[in-house]
Amino acid sequence: MNKESIQLHVNGVRHEIEIPPSKTLLEALREDLRLTGTKCGCDDSSCGCCTVLVDGVPMLSCVMLAASYPDASITTIEGVAQGEQLDPLQEGFCVEGGAQCGFCTPGIILTAKALLDRNPKPTREEIAQAISGNLCRCTGYTQIYASIEYAIKKLRTTPVAAASGGR
Amino acid sequence: MSMPSFALVRPRAVDEALEHLARHGAEAMLVAGGTDVVPNLRAGLFSPRVVVDLKGLGDLSGITFDRERGLEIGALATLTAVAESQLVRQHYPVLAQAAGTVASPVLRNMGTLGGNLCLETRCRWYNQSYFWRQSCGFCLKKDGTVCHVAPGGKRCWAVWSGDTAGALLALDAEIEIAGPAGRRRLSLTDFYKNDGVDRIHLGRGEILTRILVPATMAGYRGTYHKLRIRNSIDYPLAGVALVVKVEDGVCRDARLGLVAVNPAPVLVREVESLLVGQRFTPELTEAVVQAVVRTGKPLTTSMSTPEYRREMLRVFSRRALRELWRENGSH
Amino acid sequence: MAQFSVVGQRLPMVDAREKVTGAGVYTDDLVLPGMLVGRILHSPHPHARIHSIDATKAAALPGIVAVITGKDFPNRYGILPIGHDETALAVEKARYVGDNVAAVAAVSDQAAVQALDLIEVDYELLPAFFDPNETMKAESNWIHDDKPHNIEKEYHHHFGNVEEGFAQADAIREDHFFCPGVTHVAMEPHSTLAHVEDNGRLIVWSSTQVPYYLQRTLSNVLGLPMDRVRVIKPLVGGGFGGKSEVIPLEVIAACLARAAGRPVKITYTRDEVFYAHRGRPVQVIDLKMGVRRDGKITAVEARIVQDGGAYCGYGPVTLLYSGALLGAMYDIRNMKFDGYRVLTNRPACGAMRGHGTVNTRFAFESQLDMLAHAVGIDPVEIREVNLLKPPCITVNQLRVTSYGYPECLRQVKAKSGWKEKKGKLPFGKGVGVAGSHYVSGAANAIVRSGTPHTTIDIKANPDGTVTIFTGASEIGQGSDTMQVQLVAEELCLHPRRVKLVAADTDRTPVDLGSYSSRVTFMAGNACLQAARNLKSTIFSVVARRWNVSPDQLEMRDERVVLCDDSGWSMSFEEAAKCAIDHLGEVVATGSYSPPQEAQGGKFRGAGVGPSPAYSYSAQVAEVTVDTETGQVTVDRITVAHDCGRALNLMAVEGQVQGSVWMGLGQAVQEEMIWSQGLLMNPSMLEYKSASTLESPEIDTIIVESVDPEGPLGAKEAGEGSLAAIIPAVANAIYDAVGVRLTSTPFTPEKILKALREQQKKVAQRNGGSER
Repeated sequence: MNKESIQLHVNGVRHEIEIPPSKTLLEALREDLRLTGTKCGCDDSSCGCCTVLVDGVPMLSCVMLAASYPDASITTIEGVAQGEQLDPLQEGFCVEGGAQCGFCTPGIILTAKALLDRNPKPTREEIAQAISGNLCRCTGYTQIYASIEYAIKKLRTTPVAAASGGR
Repeated sequence: MSMPSFALVRPRAVDEALEHLARHGAEAMLVAGGTDVVPNLRAGLFSPRVVVDLKGLGDLSGITFDRERGLEIGALATLTAVAESQLVRQHYPVLAQAAGTVASPVLRNMGTLGGNLCLETRCRWYNQSYFWRQSCGFCLKKDGTVCHVAPGGKRCWAVWSGDTAGALLALDAEIEIAGPAGRRRLSLTDFYKNDGVDRIHLGRGEILTRILVPATMAGYRGTYHKLRIRNSIDYPLAGVALVVKVEDGVCRDARLGLVAVNPAPVLVREVESLLVGQRFTPELTEAVVQAVVRTGKPLTTSMSTPEYRREMLRVFSRRALRELWRENGSH
Repeated sequence: MAQFSVVGQRLPMVDAREKVTGAGVYTDDLVLPGMLVGRILHSPHPHARIHSIDATKAAALPGIVAVITGKDFPNRYGILPIGHDETALAVEKARYVGDNVAAVAAVSDQAAVQALDLIEVDYELLPAFFDPNETMKAESNWIHDDKPHNIEKEYHHHFGNVEEGFAQADAIREDHFFCPGVTHVAMEPHSTLAHVEDNGRLIVWSSTQVPYYLQRTLSNVLGLPMDRVRVIKPLVGGGFGGKSEVIPLEVIAACLARAAGRPVKITYTRDEVFYAHRGRPVQVIDLKMGVRRDGKITAVEARIVQDGGAYCGYGPVTLLYSGALLGAMYDIRNMKFDGYRVLTNRPACGAMRGHGTVNTRFAFESQLDMLAHAVGIDPVEIREVNLLKPPCITVNQLRVTSYGYPECLRQVKAKSGWKEKKGKLPFGKGVGVAGSHYVSGAANAIVRSGTPHTTIDIKANPDGTVTIFTGASEIGQGSDTMQVQLVAEELCLHPRRVKLVAADTDRTPVDLGSYSSRVTFMAGNACLQAARNLKSTIFSVVARRWNVSPDQLEMRDERVVLCDDSGWSMSFEEAAKCAIDHLGEVVATGSYSPPQEAQGGKFRGAGVGPSPAYSYSAQVAEVTVDTETGQVTVDRITVAHDCGRALNLMAVEGQVQGSVWMGLGQAVQEEMIWSQGLLMNPSMLEYKSASTLESPEIDTIIVESVDPEGPLGAKEAGEGSLAAIIPAVANAIYDAVGVRLTSTPFTPEKILKALREQQKKVAQRNGGSER
């Protein structure tokens, strides 16, 4: 199989990897960059587990060809915390029980992050709409809402943390 | 699960993309957002040698509106962009609404309007893994000879499952296609073939570049009703898009598009003649409903039964008319 | 509650941080040097004899390291000792579309897939069976030769005297219920990494709920002594029962690793997860119930046929749960159960959240609602009329020690506004009530032996921390956190001082696994016992040092304190060090075996159903039915769950909400759709697991009945609330529009059809009266 050298810009780091052009971003992240926080839950782009941010926009890495995104800034779950300091969303998912088995968690946190970057005070209805492409099989979503709302509250009360949003 | 291997080219301009298409012919396949193509590649439904990635054609993602020229949308505009565009929402609300129902938010961030208009047709005997299709002896549409939906027939009934085409048919949209001989314009109604296999009039060497909606349709009331099991993620199981122009309770113009019930999105042409010049009556509504179910012919292509989908065509048509005309039309 | 410091809090899960940062490791995240990709060739036929398999072309393909077939590993296995009917790969026959026929290990996924296509299998097609009633009539071509007429097992139980009971009834109903199969759809597809070390020892990482049973099975299939097999459970991305028995890929990966001499990882594609299935079976239920005018149930009689698919799996257990828990949450003196577990040529069914109880609960609680209307009693009240009076033993000999169901009913009635709503909402809107219950672990182990169901070791470390060594399997339900909390509570330590090593058969004692909601009750009790033993070991050393009696010592706020007015105390760290200095190592053990009294009756099949304690749930669903589309929208759910004691309120609420939500999926939109032997919806796209937009708010009330034997009074929380939502929604639909749905899911199409039939009847009635 022909491999090509491609560039990926992930979590602020530039990588150059040799992969076949048919490789998805999901596979490249997991296999070549060993960023395994991005999960594969289905084969038909229906579950949302593989969500990453591409220039701040949530997308499914399982339908993205890695070689198609040399110029994009990609954020995976590994790039959400600031060093040891968890993002308010990550903290919310710990404190409010949004992560049970944890498999959908990275995708939902990233989707929620993009939402809060655009709309810091979403209603529960807006949250439900925004994460409606990310399936969870454990929680019934109630504690996921609570987790995201924890972050909303925290971001509102600590303006410094809010400034770290964006891409 | 990994995909079959292919080469990837990423042209920067339409002409460059056309060159690739010309060079590779039937072995090339276009990909824009990838939300339809990539899962299909993974399922082994296509095995191109070269995939032409259109995402680099940056000038094809704009959305502009002009009182004279109407709406112009680049084929690469994402469905999110279309759904959220103030211009679209203001002047052609039915399109924003339809675009906003496609799949899920994260898929709309990737999927493009052009891609949605060129969607591969779908069928429960077709959109399955290679192993699965092998287990049923394949089907007429791919690798086999039998249609499991209409056994004995020689025609593929895979269903048109895009949301936006119904709205755009109702809005009398045109599309611009770039090809080796330059650019041509085509009414969207002429784009579709009503054939599950060979679904659109897009030549091997051509690319859909722009979607154009006439200025005359701006300001029409519109609504899109979609049948699906989940309110997110799912493809439509039936869809009714209606636009009307009503003055003092009298219908001045009306167009109704159907999706997800035939191998093509279809315009129910009788609706215009039935409604124009008329005031709302329940009888008229029933006449429209009859026209709709004469046109929409759902078969056993999806998980919901044809009977129920046909019934929903009735309900949706009635509701759409009530919503746009009776309740709002009189004031 | 003031009496506890750690227990009862909303403590974050101990593994939450790694889950939110992406650092947590699931099986598919693991890579070993030289690791190969394993892939399985599945049967495209539902029932076929395999005459020969020619894998020479596949084996010759570049990049292929091993190809194996059924003959290479013929030892039979199965989760139940009475059901060893599976082999690593099909030996003589393939029994469902998706059955495992051959497997390859390759250097790349592409090579493996290519190789599968080159394996030539000579199949002889056999007549296949798909209908649970029809399959029992089969005279030949049985799916397993030793199961005549494709009947895996049948049970006939009769308690009291139903004939006499029905004779006392003022109203009797007989109804037919049907539930299609549903499946777990854990977000993590199954994955197994197997490696045979140089010394011949097999080490397996797998997405399993039952590491210990997997170890046993691998030892059996590969002919290795137990100690030559090590099973490690990394993080598991959800189980719901789908990983609670040995799944084909686990065995196949191990066989491939041995054949290839290199590590092999198999991760199922999503459609393979659907073929592996082991979910809730298709169930056909004929239910008859009688009540007196005052609502008292006089007799219940059920005939239940379960379509178990092509292999035994947990089958007989699923069936027995259906019978055993059918009437056991109420005081019913006359009960009859005829159950059949039959084989068909579809993927094997197994345990799924609410194992065995869900479909029968739907039937029972629906019929009770019908009878309430028949005798003119409020549906909440008819349940109250039939309550048990614990402590008691049910007619089928289940011991009930704590019973929060009355309180659950009372609370959901109050919180949901039942009185204001029932029968009073406008047409199209309605409320429905129902109850359910579940075991807190099976009182009898799958493999009967004297071994405790759980054993826990706790080791004191010189730095003042302790480490729990537990075989219990965290699968997202919070069992690691539960154990940490109980040990911290008992030792009066901050939870951060409690570390945990779990689910590694080399390093942790035996625990039977995460199934039948057993972990809180059993591992929890073992943790408390181990912690008490650890404390007493440490106290004995400290007491000697202080020259006092150990029973004068206690732990308070991370210190060992002498209970007099001396004011003597010692930090736990110091005490632990002191004990370690004295004893070399300070390890204490605790274990749990269910008491004899909880183990149930002596009749055939009595082993399933008994539990040391039962959880209870009551729910009210409020729905809107669109009478034009038939669409039912569940607007609000109020649930009250009796978990004995909430050790972690957040985790309990999460478990209850997750259960209700999963039940709601089965109620309104989930089902496995078949065309003969072909599963038509083996994908996340077409199997309709609900998105946020179909998921209502679940108002959750926790009831604490404080079980006398539960760890600090706790019982299960993760399954008992699943079943009730299905009949609650059915009953609410009836309240809303007057139609009764007797098959799941309550699709718009079914509701519309029922509404049309109702209109027709009304029209006929009106027409008749005019004449």
